[in-house]
Amino acid sequence: MRDIEAVVRGFEASGYVLDRALATAVYLLIRLGKPLLIEGHAGVGKTEVGKVLASFLGVELIRLQCYEGLDVNSAVYEWNYQKQLLAIKIHEKTDEETIFSSGFLLERPLLRAIRATDNSPVLLIDEIDRADEAFEAFLLELLSDFQITIPELGTIRARHRPHVILTSNRTRELSDALKRRCLYHWIDYPVFEKELEIVRLRAPGVDRELGAQTVGFVQEVRNLNLAKPPGVAETLDCVHSLRALGKTRLDAEAAEATLGCVAKSVDDSAKIRAEGIDRILARAAR
Amino acid sequence: MTQAGVIGFCRFLRANGFSAGVTESLASAEVVRAVPPEDRDAVRWGLRAALSSSKEEWDSFDRLFDAFWNKLPQEQRRMQTKVTTEPRGFWALTGEPSDTARPSDREANRIAGASVYARLKKADFSEIPQSDQPALDQLAQRLLKQMSWRLSRRRKAAGLRGRVDLRRTIRANISRGGDPIQLRYKERRPQQARVVILLDVSGSMSLYSMFLLRFAHALHRHIARADTFIFSTRLVNIGGMLRSRKLAEAMKALAACPADWSGGTRIGGSLQELNARHARLLSRDTVFLILSDGWDTGDPGTLAAELRRIKDRVRKVVWLNPLLGLEDYQPLTRGMAAALPHVDVFAPAHSLESLLALEKHLRW
Repeated sequence: MRDIEAVVRGFEASGYVLDRALATAVYLLIRLGKPLLIEGHAGVGKTEVGKVLASFLGVELIRLQCYEGLDVNSAVYEWNYQKQLLAIKIHEKTDEETIFSSGFLLERPLLRAIRATDNSPVLLIDEIDRADEAFEAFLLELLSDFQITIPELGTIRARHRPHVILTSNRTRELSDALKRRCLYHWIDYPVFEKELEIVRLRAPGVDRELGAQTVGFVQEVRNLNLAKPPGVAETLDCVHSLRALGKTRLDAEAAEATLGCVAKSVDDSAKIRAEGIDRILARAAR
Repeated sequence: MTQAGVIGFCRFLRANGFSAGVTESLASAEVVRAVPPEDRDAVRWGLRAALSSSKEEWDSFDRLFDAFWNKLPQEQRRMQTKVTTEPRGFWALTGEPSDTARPSDREANRIAGASVYARLKKADFSEIPQSDQPALDQLAQRLLKQMSWRLSRRRKAAGLRGRVDLRRTIRANISRGGDPIQLRYKERRPQQARVVILLDVSGSMSLYSMFLLRFAHALHRHIARADTFIFSTRLVNIGGMLRSRKLAEAMKALAACPADWSGGTRIGGSLQELNARHARLLSRDTVFLILSDGWDTGDPGTLAAELRRIKDRVRKVVWLNPLLGLEDYQPLTRGMAAALPHVDVFAPAHSLESLLALEKHLRW
């Protein structure tokens, strides 16, 4: 019943503007049950794809945020030590089987995704490039078999295969083996019309002219080769800020006031000012 | 017929530098079954999702797709439908690409080269003297001993114990009623040092580049967390080629590697790229090695700023300059002068001896 068009419409209903290429990838993710690896610059809506997919499918979103040093204890499961100690205290003759049963297990995101009982949840593994190689290797195993082995309990196999979305900011190359398991999609900065459409959907009620000016300005700023180029999230921040400040159009003064939304470091702000906000605005207007 | 076409396309992509293997071929066959065959765009995007695995491949996919699944005009395709018995639209029409549509090998290479990489130049590796091989290997062995298992040694010296391992503590104390009488500790896992090597392969360095590559290869054989990049005008990660390959094979792969061998130099720009894309490699346990003569055609300000960012992140910045071996050399080139304040160790690298001396800088 679900075709590519349905994906596009479903995402749009949740406020996500999806081009047909990404829609095809998402459709294949659902159809083929393969994980989807999404790469792209910061703030182009990679994480959002996972969130919207969950609401589109009407299933639970399970999110795992990766960071350096992420280990099995915080990603998969941990025993509830306090509870175990208490149990030992209360029932004098506790044996191993009792305290190493699922009642004493703390589920972390990956185990939760595997143990989902009703339907396939969406498992969002965010910023996988931040985790270390060891964790990547573990993930590899999980993504091919969808099962987790806990020595004290045995192997837990997924009853419903989760829909897996991985995102990466490309701070490092991922291993070939992991990439091989995944479908791949690169999200670029949106073109002017698409970004305007996003602003319209995500900031309804904002004057169209103001939206267009802001989008034009941010798109010009992206060409300045900043350390942290503004993403779509920054455009939206900027629009919201302008509205909060009661501005109806983006002039040099308004742009200066909201520069913090666009430039996220001293160097970047200096670079924009050196380029001349007036001049950037003039270029954007053309 | 359809399957054969897809498999042929996969093979064509591989010939153009895609890493797509058997898994991807199978996936693409599934894709073709899953999307409506008459929707040419969906087929294109579906195959792109299944077959590419990096931004570079993603970017060149469209061109290759068009080159393979020729751009026959609509009428001509319809003509073909008459002779084929399979009524399955686009795939049936183009299932087996015509000879005219299949670009010759040379043309295929040109497509990849033009799309992603700068000027591609193959350098000849055959003139490297073989006599230094054993010494180089020995050096790598010694470096390994010096550098690896740093944490384990430090732990012993300081007499530190790791964190309490609650899981094993509870297990061990069940027989005592659960009171944690005997604590179990988590061993701090001995961690190897990380090395990031940046090799200048621009024209001014060509006399040394090949030799330094051998050195990098030796390091790779023994240090798991080593990464090597070559740069002249752009940065190319060659870690994958050096790792787990015999030297001769690695050199062969490198010769085919699209880099601006013996071109100009943009050190600042290359460091910027490193900071932007590979910052994760630069951690507190990283020794950052850069092998360059400091002839930079870019802006020395960029070079200084980017090198400072690297220095903030890593344990040590070691700059190896082959010219330092010359008697009267003064680091006066603009690039070198800009870089020096942010360098921890400035050392020569013109001979095996000077590389051997490097050992003490990789130790801490």
